[in-house]
Amino acid sequence: MIQVTNLHKSFGKVHALNGVTFTALDGKITGLLGPNGAGKTTCLRILYTVMNPDQGEALVDGFDAIRQPLEVQKRIGVLPDAPGIYPRLTTRENIRYYGRLHGLNGIVLERKIDELVKLFDMKDIADRRTEGFSTGQRVKVAIGRALVHDPKNVLLDEPTGGLDVMSTRAMRDVIRRMRESGKCVLFSSHIMQEVSALCDNIVIIAKGEIAAEGTPEALRRQTGYENLEDAFVEVIGSGEGLE
Amino acid sequence: MLNKVLIIFQKEVLDNLRDRRALSSTLIGTLLGPGLMLLLFFVIGQTVEDATQQTLQLPVAGAEHAPNLIEFLEQNNVEILNPPADPQESVRVGDYDVILIVPEGYGDDLQNGIPATVQLVVDASRQSSQVEVDRTERLLDSYTQQLAVLRLVARGVSPSILQPLSVETIDVATPQSQAASLLGTMPYFLIFSVFLGGMHLAIDTTAGERERNSLEPLLINPVSRRDMVLGKMGATVLFTIVSLIGTVTAFGVLFNLVPLEDFVGTRININLGVMMAIFLICLPMVCLAGSIQTIIAAFSRNYKEAQSYLSFLPLIPALPGMFLAFVPVKPTLWMMMIPTFGQQLLINQLMREEPVLAINVVVSISITLLLSLVLTAVAVWLYKKERILFGR
Repeated sequence: MIQVTNLHKSFGKVHALNGVTFTALDGKITGLLGPNGAGKTTCLRILYTVMNPDQGEALVDGFDAIRQPLEVQKRIGVLPDAPGIYPRLTTRENIRYYGRLHGLNGIVLERKIDELVKLFDMKDIADRRTEGFSTGQRVKVAIGRALVHDPKNVLLDEPTGGLDVMSTRAMRDVIRRMRESGKCVLFSSHIMQEVSALCDNIVIIAKGEIAAEGTPEALRRQTGYENLEDAFVEVIGSGEGLE
Repeated sequence: MLNKVLIIFQKEVLDNLRDRRALSSTLIGTLLGPGLMLLLFFVIGQTVEDATQQTLQLPVAGAEHAPNLIEFLEQNNVEILNPPADPQESVRVGDYDVILIVPEGYGDDLQNGIPATVQLVVDASRQSSQVEVDRTERLLDSYTQQLAVLRLVARGVSPSILQPLSVETIDVATPQSQAASLLGTMPYFLIFSVFLGGMHLAIDTTAGERERNSLEPLLINPVSRRDMVLGKMGATVLFTIVSLIGTVTAFGVLFNLVPLEDFVGTRININLGVMMAIFLICLPMVCLAGSIQTIIAAFSRNYKEAQSYLSFLPLIPALPGMFLAFVPVKPTLWMMMIPTFGQQLLINQLMREEPVLAINVVVSISITLLLSLVLTAVAVWLYKKERILFGR
């Protein structure tokens, strides 16, 4: 479970986050929807322990991301905004590195890697160096290594950015499967269709503040619009930056 | 948490062993010093040989006025050339280094015991002609001396009356220390190796990792930033040590197997024990280089920026080394407290087979290690800041 309370973060004069509060539950997919520059990535970065908020609290399974980063890191799998992989290592070696950093090794780790290779259909690229991989292939490796330790909470920053139709569908499948296995999935997107198709709960963020939160149904009711797109435009104030 | 350090260390070593850029830059760091040194010996040997053994070509105007002088010169390995039309102009433009002019009255003056004038046309502003000019002047001096002695003997006076002082120079330089004046450049090359050998790794594992966008996902793993820095720095240190071993070995081969005495005239004897001692004295500098490079590379925005800073780095500790090559300094304790400077003095002493004070070694090693430790702590502290995501 992920709980974010009253997060504030400024970069110089820019207020990236201005009191963000929301909760993402286990077994649910929570979408962080907002236009470009709304503060989605900053919010996730604080949750996955690489940034400190000026104010507020970010908890993962009850552990504080600022004060107990190692405990949080053990419990999250992350696909960051720009997930670089190591071009001189093979797919397996990339995943194995992260597995070992999470304390896995030996036959357990190798089985887990095999499982991920199968799950993401990476057999033909499993033992190739990742130099020259397509964007889709690189994202697969990145998501594979993020899940190698079977984390309870999964954070995905724009997971379908740059993917083609088939890869996007595969990614959505994976996200649904993670929900079925009881994980807490939090992903950010500026693509409305994607969020409305996948999410149990939507958190709409704009200019560093939560504009609305709820199930797709609740959002429709709240705004009085039948069409979700109109509902989004209504709560954000403009359709700019959304797709 | 040594385990995590080891995992990161192993990954960086494997990753960089597969990188041709890392290997070639380590190799260059290794062989640059010994290669340049060999070249230096060769050039110096060649120049000295050239200047002393070659026939001196000397245009002489009015050679017919002084047949005895000409004969003397020819006996002393001088080839007499026909003079150019305008001697002064041809020296000025550099056609000849030196031209001798014998005036018409030379023979008469000599006969009458009046100092006979000869003229040397030289260009004092041209350094490269100095050897030829000196040689000509020395030859004329010794001819003068020879004539003076003959005149005194003819008058029944002992020639030693002209020599109230007899100066004997006692040269205490052993062949070893003469060669060592050339070897004064070796500490500089060793430092070069220390600061170049692992440079690529220091950059690749930090600024390079950020540039490839793989730093941010790495930081999310449950590994303390301290372990991360230690693992990465460890890989840099390993490559630097390999480079240093290569450099010291190459110097060993150079001094012991290549017949250097053919070039410089003296035998340089640096045995295995001395090479080992030099290697051990350099080891703390490897840690120092690794920590400084990690700090600088971690806060450069990308590979190129880090590379341009780190390429200048070896010049700073090398400055005293280059100075040492020309001005000998007697090592004192406070000098040992300056990391890299102390080592250079110690290496110089080892090469000259001078006694090395234990206290100097201890002070030099411990201060350098202490500074490395402090700088490593600084690197860890920097890695804990969120700015590490973006560089400076």
